[in-house]
Amino acid sequence: MFRPAPRASGYLHTGYGEDIALLQTRTERASLAVFAILLAVFPFLASPFALDLACQVFLASVGALSLMLLTGYAGQISLGHAGLIAAGAFTTGILAREISAPFWITLPASALTGIVLGFIFGLPSLRLRGLYLAVSTLALHFVVIYLGGEYETKRGFSTGIVVDPPRFAGMKLTDGRAWYFVLLAAAVVSLLICVNLLRSRSGRAWQALHVRETVAEALGISVARYKLLAFVISSSMTSVAGCLFAYYRGFVSIEAFDLFLSIQYVAMIIVGGMGSLLGALLGAAFITVFPYLIEALLRLLPNVQKLAGEIFAVNYAAFGLVMILFLIFEPLGLVGIWHRLQNYFLLWPFRYKPLAGARK
Amino acid sequence: MTRLHHPLPAEEEGDRSCSTSGIALQLVVNIIVLGSIYALIACGYVLIYRVSRVLNLAHGELMMLGAYLLLATASLFNGHPAIALAAAVLLSLLAGALVYVFLMRKMTGEMVLAAILTTVALGILIRGAVLLIWSAQQQYPAQALGVANPSFSLFGGARISFWSAVLVAITIAVYGALFGFLRFGRWGMRMRAAGQNPLLAAQRGINLHGVYALAWCLSTLTGAFAGILMALDSGLTSSMPIIGLKAFPAALVGGLDSLAGALAGALIVAGAEVLLIYYVDPLLSDVVPFLVLIAMLVVRPWGLFGTREELDRV
Amino acid sequence: MLKRIVVGGLTACAIALPAAAQDAYLVGITAALTGPPSSTYAPAVDALRIYIDRVNAAGGVNGKQIRLVIEDDGAQPSKAVANTKKLITQDNVILMVNASLSSTYAPVIAESKNANVALLFASGVCPQSVYPPADPLQFCTTGYASQFDSRATLEFIKAAAKGTVKIGFAAMAIPLSRGEMDYAMELSKKMGMEPVDQEVIPPPTADYTSFATKLKDAGPNWVYSWAPWVTQVRTLEALRKLGWDSDYIAWGHLEAEAELARLKDGKFYVVNSNALFQEKQPIHQEIEVAASKAGSKFPAQTMTEGWIGGMAIEAALKGAGWPADPAKVRAAMENLKIDTKGLRGGPIEWTKDNHFRTQLYYRVYKWDGDKIARVQDWKTYEVK
Repeated sequence: MFRPAPRASGYLHTGYGEDIALLQTRTERASLAVFAILLAVFPFLASPFALDLACQVFLASVGALSLMLLTGYAGQISLGHAGLIAAGAFTTGILAREISAPFWITLPASALTGIVLGFIFGLPSLRLRGLYLAVSTLALHFVVIYLGGEYETKRGFSTGIVVDPPRFAGMKLTDGRAWYFVLLAAAVVSLLICVNLLRSRSGRAWQALHVRETVAEALGISVARYKLLAFVISSSMTSVAGCLFAYYRGFVSIEAFDLFLSIQYVAMIIVGGMGSLLGALLGAAFITVFPYLIEALLRLLPNVQKLAGEIFAVNYAAFGLVMILFLIFEPLGLVGIWHRLQNYFLLWPFRYKPLAGARK
Repeated sequence: MTRLHHPLPAEEEGDRSCSTSGIALQLVVNIIVLGSIYALIACGYVLIYRVSRVLNLAHGELMMLGAYLLLATASLFNGHPAIALAAAVLLSLLAGALVYVFLMRKMTGEMVLAAILTTVALGILIRGAVLLIWSAQQQYPAQALGVANPSFSLFGGARISFWSAVLVAITIAVYGALFGFLRFGRWGMRMRAAGQNPLLAAQRGINLHGVYALAWCLSTLTGAFAGILMALDSGLTSSMPIIGLKAFPAALVGGLDSLAGALAGALIVAGAEVLLIYYVDPLLSDVVPFLVLIAMLVVRPWGLFGTREELDRV
Repeated sequence: MLKRIVVGGLTACAIALPAAAQDAYLVGITAALTGPPSSTYAPAVDALRIYIDRVNAAGGVNGKQIRLVIEDDGAQPSKAVANTKKLITQDNVILMVNASLSSTYAPVIAESKNANVALLFASGVCPQSVYPPADPLQFCTTGYASQFDSRATLEFIKAAAKGTVKIGFAAMAIPLSRGEMDYAMELSKKMGMEPVDQEVIPPPTADYTSFATKLKDAGPNWVYSWAPWVTQVRTLEALRKLGWDSDYIAWGHLEAEAELARLKDGKFYVVNSNALFQEKQPIHQEIEVAASKAGSKFPAQTMTEGWIGGMAIEAALKGAGWPADPAKVRAAMENLKIDTKGLRGGPIEWTKDNHFRTQLYYRVYKWDGDKIARVQDWKTYEVK
C-alpha cells in the first residue's frame, strides 16, 4: 500500500527525506486525504450498530497486523494469538480490579506482559519450525487460558471481571464515537509501527529468515535474535490489543478467548492475503463483518424467528466454508482480489499485464 | 472441590473400593479406558501425517460426525442395531474418502500452514453442519439403537462398562490390524513408501492419490470407531471434538509418524491426566495433555518414537 | 466484476439496514441456544416464542404485537454481554430476558442497570437479588432457586432416609452451583447429616468417570446434585457405571421427564416445582397442541418454563400499556400476579420487594417400575 513505487515517471527526489517518505505521489496523498475525511465523518453519519462494527474492525486490525508481522513476514506460525489477547485483557482486568490502576498503567503493563509472553512463546521457535512451532504455540495458548481460568476461579471472579471504562482527565470513555476515534488512532499507530518496522533493518531481516534461514544466518543476520524480536514485538502489540479489548467490552472472562478466536485471527491474515499489511486490514474487516453479513442474509428468509437458534450454527458453517474457498481458490487472499481490481483499472482498456508497470 | 474427612471404610455391601488397592485398580482401569480412547483417536492423526505430512486438525469433528451418522442410521434401520452400526461405519469410510477427493487433494503441494488451516476450516464447517442438522441437544445413540450399557465388575472391585470394554478391545484389534497391514499388506507398503519419499514412490508407479485417499479413509474409520463407541458409552454432545484435540498431544508425544508411539503417548497422557485429576486438581483435566506436550517439545520435539529428521522439513 | 459489485452492494445494504417498524413491543432475549447446557434453555426459549406467537395471532397485547429479538450466547458471559449491549442500544428493547447459564448473569445485570431496563430471568436459575428485598430491575419466573431448593431437598432426604445420611454433593464449576452446594453442605450438617464429599465438575467435561470415582470413594449413601441437567445426569450415570447404587436426588430440569423414562433408575429422585406432563392437565394438552402446530423440534414436555415466561411477559406488557417504555414495564412488573393454570403448585406473585414469588411449591418424583411416580405432593414454602 505504501510501497514507494511511483506509477508515473519524472518524479525527482532531491533529498533523502523525500526518498523515504511514505506517500510519494500526489495521487497517493490526495486519496489518503479523502479516505481520512471519510473516516472522520463516518461516526457522525452511521447508526450505533455500524459504529460498533467499525470499532470492532479497528480492534481486530491491531491483532491482525501483529499476526501478519509474525506469520506473514517473519514466517513464524503462531496459533496462540488468542492466548496473548487474553493475557493483555487479563492484565488489565486484574490490575483494574485489584489495585484500581488507571489505564495509563494498565496499558504499558499489558505491553510488558506481552513482551514476557512473547519471549516464552518465541523460545520454541529457536528449535522448531513449521508444524511443530504451530503446535507449541497452540499448547502455550491452552496453558495461558488455563492460568486465566484458574485466576478467575481462585479469586472469585468466576463469571469474569467487570472493567470500568478508562478515564481521561476526569471524563469516562463510554461514548461510541469517542471509542471510534480512540480505536482508529490505535489502528493507525499499529499500522505505522508495522510499516516502519518492515522498512527498517528488522523487517528486512525477518523477510530474509522467512525465505531461507541458513542463508540469512550466513549473511550475518542473527536468526535467533530476530525470531525472538518478531515474537516479542508481535506479542506486545497483541497484548495492547487485548487491553483495549478489555476496556471496550467492559468485561473480561476467559471463555471469550477460545481456540476459535486464534483461528479467526489466522483466517484474517490468510483471507486478507499473506505478506501484505493491507491484507491484514482487509482480512480483519472481512472476518469481523462476516457474521453480521450472514445474519443479515438469514433475516431475508421468511420465518426468521425459528432460525434464531440456527444462526450460530450457520455462522460457524459459513465461516468454515468461506475459509476453505479462500484457501483453495484464492490463495493470495483479498489483497490478490484488490490488486486484480487495481490492475483492471490501471490497464484498461488493455486486458493483460505487461511485464512491468503494474502491481503484482 | 473440598475433600472432607474421609470416613472409616463402611460396612455396607459392595463398597469394597474404599481400600487403597481397590482405588488403585479402579484408577488403572480408568487409565486403560481413557488411554484406549486417546490411542484410537491418535492413530488417525498418525496415519495421515505419516503418509502425507498433513496434520488433520479436523479429526475430532470427523469422529463426532461418525457418531452422529450412527444416530442417523439408527433411526433408519430401526430395530437392527448391527446393520445400523455397519452402515454408520461404512458411511464414515465414505466421508473420509470424500474429504480427501474434494478438499485435501487440492491442497497437495501448498504450504504447511495452508493445509493445516484447511483442515481446521473443514472441522468448523462440519461442526456447524452437525449443529444445523441435529441441534445441540444431548443424544443417546445407545437408546436409539436399543442396546444397553451394563457395567460389570473386574477383579479387585474395579468396574468397567460394557462399551468401554468393547472400546479397549477394538483399540487393540485396530492397532494389531494396522501394524499388520502396514508391514505386510501391499497397499500398506505403498503407504509407507509414499510417506518416506513421495517423489520416489510416484516414480515407482505408486498411485499417490490412491494412497492418500486410503490413508484418509482409514483415519476417518478409526476416528468413527472412537466416536461411536464413546457415544454409545456415555452419550453424544456437540462438544465431542474437544476430546479429539486432547488426543492430539498423545500422538505428538509418541511421534507423529509412529503408530507404536501413538499407543505409548496415549497411555502416558491418559495416565498423567487421571492421576493428576485424582490426586491434585480436577480442573486440570483440560490442560494436562498440553502440559505433557510442551514438556515433550522442550525435551524431544520429534516424540518418543518419531523420526528425527522430521524437524528440518518446513 | 459485476459479481463483486453485487457482493459489495449487499454488504452495504446489510450494514445500513435500519431497524424495522417500531409498531410493536420489543423484547430482547439472550439465551444459551448452543453449548453444553443448551438442552435446558433452548426448549424454554422455543416455548416462549410459541406462546408469544399465539398471543400475537390472537391480536397481541393492547392491540400491538410483541416482537422477540433472540440472540444466542452459547452460555458464555462475554457473548451474553455483547448480545445485551446490542439488544439495548441497537434494537431498543423495553424488556430484557436472560435464559442462560448463571455465569452470564453478572455482566448482563451490569449492562441492564446502565440502561435501566428491567431484566427477567426465565428458565435460568433465580439469583438471590430477586428475593426480598429485591433489586428494582431484576425479576424471575424460573422454577428453581438457590437456597430454597436445597432446603426443600434436604428436608425430603431427611424424611425419606432410613438411618444416618452420608451425603455427597456434585456441582458444576459455575458460581451459583458451587455456592448452592456449599450452602447445602452447611445446612446438611445443621440437619444432622454427614457430608462426605463435594465434587466440582467443569462444564465441558468429556469423561465424568474420574469425578465419580472420587465421589464414590467417599462412601455416600445419598448424593445431591444441583446444577445444569447435563452435569447431574452424567454424574449419576458415571456413578452407576462404577457400581454405586444408592439414592441420588437432583433438580428436575425440563429434561427430567424424558430422562426419567430413559434411565429407568428406581433410586433417582427429582425435585420439581413444575408439574409433569404425565399428569395430563388441560394446560399440558394445550401446550402439546401448540407445540406440534408450530412444528417445534423440542418435545412438549420441556416447554413449561418458557410457557410461564411467556405468560409473565404478556402480563407485564399488558400492564405497561401503550406506548410503553422500560420504566412503565418495570412498574407493571412490580405488581403482577400470574396464574400458572396448574403448571406450578400455585400462582406467581410479584410485589415491590419480592420479585421472586411469595410462595414456593415443591414435588418429588421418581421412576417406579414402568412409570413416573409422585413421591411427595406439593409442599409449600413461604418466601420472606
